[in-house]
Amino acid sequence: MASRSLRRFVRFAPSKTDKHRRVDVRVTDMTASDALWWDARLGPKHTRLASRADRFWSWSALLPMCHLVQLAKRRFCRPLVIWARADNGRFLRTGMSIVIEEYPYLDVEHRASSNFVWFISAADADVLSADFGMSHVPALGRVLLDDAIVLSQNAGLAGRIGLHAAAAGGAALLNVYARCGLINLPAGAEMPPEVRRKNDGRFFYADENQAETLARMLDPSR
Amino acid sequence: MLLDAKAPATLGAVVEAVTRLSTFSEAQILELVSAGKIKDLFPFKPASDQAIPDDTVAEEDLVEASAAPLNRKQRAALIQSSMPSTATSSSERRGVAKAATAPKIHRSLSKK
Repeated sequence: MASRSLRRFVRFAPSKTDKHRRVDVRVTDMTASDALWWDARLGPKHTRLASRADRFWSWSALLPMCHLVQLAKRRFCRPLVIWARADNGRFLRTGMSIVIEEYPYLDVEHRASSNFVWFISAADADVLSADFGMSHVPALGRVLLDDAIVLSQNAGLAGRIGLHAAAAGGAALLNVYARCGLINLPAGAEMPPEVRRKNDGRFFYADENQAETLARMLDPSR
Repeated sequence: MLLDAKAPATLGAVVEAVTRLSTFSEAQILELVSAGKIKDLFPFKPASDQAIPDDTVAEEDLVEASAAPLNRKQRAALIQSSMPSTATSSSERRGVAKAATAPKIHRSLSKK
């Protein structure tokens, strides 16, 4: 049987201010220096934005912690950075994510594994334009989720992903994930026993079909 | 006790913190971190003298991540790169996935 070609990460994203304009983006693996940069250069600005669910996140601590905790659970993390082209032609860190590989799939009707989007963050658009010379900030919500879907598909997990929307993000964060095309796990739905968490109605997932639909929408940008 | 990157804590302290965290669900950890309690959970203190990398990087210096599953060596390099190191240049982008297949770069990632 011929091997299926792997789907790539996206390399363009629409501008937040001009949907017809495409912004170059690139995805790299996250290292300690990326976390350090984010905490030093964006962290203090994000902390002042009360509406952000990630205002207290310290990536320098999160990055090693996530790896170690998942290793203890015999799983692996895939932390990624999304860079976007600034006005000077060079690339600037604009998004961060930590995905857990081979996590229990949230839909218990279908016992399977999925990728779990544990931490996900896009830099504040106003900060990027005001302080970092980026006139066209990319819309990264779908791109960040697409990275997890692509990793899931390429790992043989059929694109299945899950996530939990942080309570600090309130109803607005629920709306973001719903607009991105994810399925909200009903508040009364049973959870996989390995997840060990009461269902608070803030879990989202993409099944195989929805993941493929979402990935195809971004195929022209790969 | 803080897990200082320049004066690593005892293995026991690391194991204790990770073991405690492992009893929480991922959603619980997300909520605790979002509430600003990560220092209580994982008292890791990055070295204060680390040089902050440049804001921007030239495209040719970016090593794009592989969208394919990583092999064992690549995963090990990725985990190692999550720890602050004085050997890490502030302006150089190393591809973690490539690091495990390119001996020269892998050696530099492994340097203590």
